[in-house]
Amino acid sequence: MQQTSAITRNANEGSEIAIHAGNVTHIFGSDTDAQQVTALDDISIDVFKGELLCLIGPSGCGKSTLLNIMGGLIDPTRGDVQVGAAKVAGPMPHDVAFVFQESALFPWSTVVDNVIVALEFQGVPKEERSARAWNALEAVDLADFGNHYPGQISGGMKQRAQLARALSLETEILLMDEPFGALDEQTRMILGEDLSVMLSKTDKTIVFVTHSLAEAVFLADRVAVMSARPGKFKEIIEVGEGHPRDPDFMLSEKFGKMRNDLYGMLHDEIRKAVDGENAQT
Amino acid sequence: MPIDGENRAAKAPADGASGAIAFGQAPGESWLRTPMATRLGVIVLIVLFWEFGARIYNDADFMAPATQSFVSLLEITQDPEVLTAIYDMFWQLALAFAMALFSGLLLGMAVGISRPTYRTFFPIIMMVYAFPQITVLPLLVLLFGIGPAIKVVFGFTHGFFPIIVNVIAGAQNIDPALLTAAKSMGATRSQIYRRIVFPHLVPSLFTGMRLGMTATLLGIILAELYATRKGIGYFTSFYAESFEPQNLFALVAMIAAAAIILNELLRRAETRFGRWRG
Amino acid sequence: MTDSKIRIRLIQVSMFAVIFVAWFIATETESVSNLFLPKLGDVATDFRDLIGSGDAWSPLSVTLFELVVAFFNAVVFGTSIGYLVSRSKFLMRAFEPMFSSMFAVPLIIFYPLALLFFGLGPGSKIAIGSALGFFPVVLNTINGFGHVDAGYMRVARSMGAKGFPMFRRVLLPAALPIILTGYRIGFILCFLSIVGGETIGSFSGLGHQIVFYAESMLTSMMFAYIIFIVIIAYILNSLVFYLEKKGNYY
Repeated sequence: MQQTSAITRNANEGSEIAIHAGNVTHIFGSDTDAQQVTALDDISIDVFKGELLCLIGPSGCGKSTLLNIMGGLIDPTRGDVQVGAAKVAGPMPHDVAFVFQESALFPWSTVVDNVIVALEFQGVPKEERSARAWNALEAVDLADFGNHYPGQISGGMKQRAQLARALSLETEILLMDEPFGALDEQTRMILGEDLSVMLSKTDKTIVFVTHSLAEAVFLADRVAVMSARPGKFKEIIEVGEGHPRDPDFMLSEKFGKMRNDLYGMLHDEIRKAVDGENAQT
Repeated sequence: MPIDGENRAAKAPADGASGAIAFGQAPGESWLRTPMATRLGVIVLIVLFWEFGARIYNDADFMAPATQSFVSLLEITQDPEVLTAIYDMFWQLALAFAMALFSGLLLGMAVGISRPTYRTFFPIIMMVYAFPQITVLPLLVLLFGIGPAIKVVFGFTHGFFPIIVNVIAGAQNIDPALLTAAKSMGATRSQIYRRIVFPHLVPSLFTGMRLGMTATLLGIILAELYATRKGIGYFTSFYAESFEPQNLFALVAMIAAAAIILNELLRRAETRFGRWRG
Repeated sequence: MTDSKIRIRLIQVSMFAVIFVAWFIATETESVSNLFLPKLGDVATDFRDLIGSGDAWSPLSVTLFELVVAFFNAVVFGTSIGYLVSRSKFLMRAFEPMFSSMFAVPLIIFYPLALLFFGLGPGSKIAIGSALGFFPVVLNTINGFGHVDAGYMRVARSMGAKGFPMFRRVLLPAALPIILTGYRIGFILCFLSIVGGETIGSFSGLGHQIVFYAESMLTSMMFAYIIFIVIIAYILNSLVFYLEKKGNYY
């Protein structure tokens, strides 16, 4: 299991770095805690501007933790993170927007109000909020449901609403934590294709956490494979396809080979993670 | 729905630190920082506040500090009439609760077992439950006088409803597949009651019992306070009117403590018997 | 209506009818003394007089006054203390079980203390009503604010929310349904404990009216007042249930 430096395997040398994570270690629980856990162990990675980087790994490998650290929601035990030139010390609502798997839309507000309140939190002037919100909803084809409550719309629509909200904030960086994880496969496919199209139209930098190998290969410019806990980077693979991705890409030999490579890398790690769980119980 | 207590299971750490787990804290953690210590601290603060506040207020007719009340606790429990009053309250409580439990359980099972009986009688039960019983207390006193009868009756009418409502809820929640399976195996009606319905009800029954105990006690105390001649209610009025606040405080504190202990016991029983529910 | 629904309604209605008829027969034939169970006609007449003459409004206003003040106290103290406790996991672990245990005591036993301090006037009823109404409010406020889904807070934080906007846009709406339930239960307890207090020791209010007429053996007027209180209770309860539902977004 080698710690692969982020620089050697990519062809983006010379591109601007959007996020830099340096020697990040994160430990949950204090030293006296019987349940202390090392989530991340001295990892470093650079995310380049305009790329979609996928984080993939077995359960509990720390990928969500890493994402939260990148976005300033968690302070790492050791190490530092930089977004652009600035050191990360807390949430950065103007630079980073999150999309989560669950519990992200407020059930007590309508869809459009959810977007408007996000703009309010960010500090957008009152007069602009409504227009921006409706524009964002139109961009994801949800304008007809703006006045519905989250409880009244489907899972796929909820995630689209979350995406609209994140887009309305007009941040450079999007951090997405298994956004399609709770959805059925068909919805996942469609939303993935839509995301790829969107990527081709903007120069947003996206870090995308997923469990799905196919999703990783289909969406990513680079895929960073993490080991079982404590998390370290095992490999970083380049996909080398442009955006928007042709849905037929999934049928190609290249796709199949990459997916199989990922499977090979991950299989042992997944075994380790599951055995680790069994050992604890 | 107010939340009910915490998980009291204190996990003993394996490091063998003696005395460290007495307050449920982790090894190495000072006992001063546990919630238990905070609670004790708050109680101590309240008692101190009581003590000094009473002394500052300094009106012996209306206020008695904690220490004095504690001393009078020892005194009043020497008084045979007070002891009789306490004893009476407890046996009335036991009798009323037993009646409420017996009738609540039987009628609850009868009503809860089938959908038609549930839909017929449950709305009526809820209607009567919502009726403010205190309004008929004077009427009941006209009927039953001011002896022990009214206390037992009023305790019963209060305790009955939480029990029957919870038993019905427990019975209604039985998976119909279980009943069908039993019938297909040839179980008689009484067997179904004994082997399936009753065990399934037990956790709900304990919830009902806990709430019912509080309600029964409430009914008895209400009757006591209204229809006083002898008994706890009598003594509370007596001490108040004869300006012996320390005795009154002592008496009230004693009953409050008893109520808390009873409730705790029933809550633990409820947790223990409700374990299979997860 | 389906067959079984009709049958159910029939049984329910006939139960009331039986009670009604039995009462009627018992009281008209005086097999039960009219001092215990008055004639239905007398009760109806007295009830009509009660409403018409306006004699009920004075005790009603006393009771309502006590209720409003007591509920106000319960809400103000319960909500503020509940919110403060909810801000720290430590405080929650300490106080939630404590308040819960205190709530298990029939707090009406402290009523003699209230009578001692405040006498027989509205003060003692307000005191006991406030005390009883306080607990469901504080417990539900702690629960509501203290157990807001962490996911909502995390999302809001990532978008730059903190301080007052976080409270107003996330904490409060998330907690509101549970808090409103606490208000409803607190309100009902205020009402019951106040009427109870008026029954046990008072010279005014609706509860006192019942005692007065009972002791004067004017039982038909007493029944009229019982009906009056039940109607008032029903109106208040419906109002409170309605308000609670309005704040509920689920």
